[in-house]
Amino acid sequence: MATAAPTAMPTDDAVLTLAHWFSPSYPIGSFSFSHGLEWAAQAGTVNNGADLTDWLKDVLNDGAGRSDALFLAAAYHAQSEDAVTLIDQTARAFAPSSERLAETHKQGNAFCKITQDVWGTELPDLSYPVAVGRAARLCGLPQKLAAAMYLQSFVANLVAAAQRLCPIGQTEAQTIVRQLTPLCNQIAADTIHGDLDQLSGTAFLADIASMKHETQYSRIFQT
Amino acid sequence: MQSAAMPPRARGAVSISAKPGPRGSALDRMRQAGSLKVLFPRRQSEALDAVLVNTAGGVTGGDRFKTEATAATGTKLTITTQAAERAYRAMPGQTGTIDNVLTVETGAQINWLPQETILFQGSALKRRLCVDLQCEAKLLICEPLVFGRTAMNETLTDAALADEIRVTRNGSPLYIDRLVMNGDLQAKLARAGVAAGAGALATVLFIAPNAEAHIKALRKLCPDSGGVSLLGPDTLTIRLLALDSHILRQSLVPILNRLSGTTLPRPWML
Repeated sequence: MATAAPTAMPTDDAVLTLAHWFSPSYPIGSFSFSHGLEWAAQAGTVNNGADLTDWLKDVLNDGAGRSDALFLAAAYHAQSEDAVTLIDQTARAFAPSSERLAETHKQGNAFCKITQDVWGTELPDLSYPVAVGRAARLCGLPQKLAAAMYLQSFVANLVAAAQRLCPIGQTEAQTIVRQLTPLCNQIAADTIHGDLDQLSGTAFLADIASMKHETQYSRIFQT
Repeated sequence: MQSAAMPPRARGAVSISAKPGPRGSALDRMRQAGSLKVLFPRRQSEALDAVLVNTAGGVTGGDRFKTEATAATGTKLTITTQAAERAYRAMPGQTGTIDNVLTVETGAQINWLPQETILFQGSALKRRLCVDLQCEAKLLICEPLVFGRTAMNETLTDAALADEIRVTRNGSPLYIDRLVMNGDLQAKLARAGVAAGAGALATVLFIAPNAEAHIKALRKLCPDSGGVSLLGPDTLTIRLLALDSHILRQSLVPILNRLSGTTLPRPWML
């Protein structure tokens, strides 16, 4: 049994495996979730690249970004299946709305299924960050890089969603992802302990946006 | 400031439980100590109404308050506070703590409806509300938070809050809400994904077998700055933001009237 998170430079194999998991072609369906952004765009809160950057900073710092990173880290450190189950229950209980619960549930299930089939890891159905943390541990992948790449793919997915909702071009979109990458890295480092006593969710309007999205009249995203 | 000496720290504890009685829910046991008291106004319904009174007048750094309440099978217990709770400026490094622990037995109901908690500039508050539900237990929680005394144009540039609601069913996590905010809360609340400048926040949680049936009506009652969602067929949550506590209350009263299934406690009258 491994006892501590690997701290050495990640091997090329490890980096490539993580790149594979967080590639848009990995079939977990992230493209269909906007995390409430579709409502924020309709309500006029997010109209352009500057609004989007601000919104994503709040989601990363005060919303699902930081809390998912904590769940990922906690699952990575978990020493038993029972511990993983409790972390998973906690992650689901922490979901602020039905659509946010659906996001973590559906992406988690899809991730567990494909990763189990391809890597042969033993993964019961878990919420998405818990699934990634557990799988990274079972595959011996570096924890902090896994968390940073998880967050970066989250950002990249929401930026891609925003491109379909407001006038944001390719160059601006990729500039936003680049600008937010250091924050992803910072949050991955800050949450490396996986201490769930540090959970916090204060991106209230992002949470409310996901609730309002449930009854949005015309929508192209599931959440 | 008459004295530089540290004032004595307030301690208060209340423990109550409800049992079924011939005319509705009745008080079973009651214990109160220190600066926390509990009153039982004349009943308005079959529920047992309890009103908590903080005789220290608020919470400051180092204070500790604890409330425990149990609703036995077949009872309905409504708990509120006599006044808004005030979290006053705390000495550096000192935190006030409030621990509330509720147990709802099979088929029982607790309505936890305290009035607003107002955070003052310089306050440091750590609060936990832990609820354990048995099967078929019903629960209504409403926790309104006010960030600074808006009537006095107080801005909250230095405060610390750790506020947690943790609900378990037969010991397993069912609902967890945790807010940790430190430092310049005003700046944080100004952000577009946080509160867009709102000064008051309410979190409502309703757990009952028929929760789903309320969702359409509640959506109509929610203002633009609030949302309602079903986390499960029996679990419904609402998050509401408002400019100030008065506007927040105007939104909350019809919602709580609908969900409490009983007459709202007197302090909640608009």
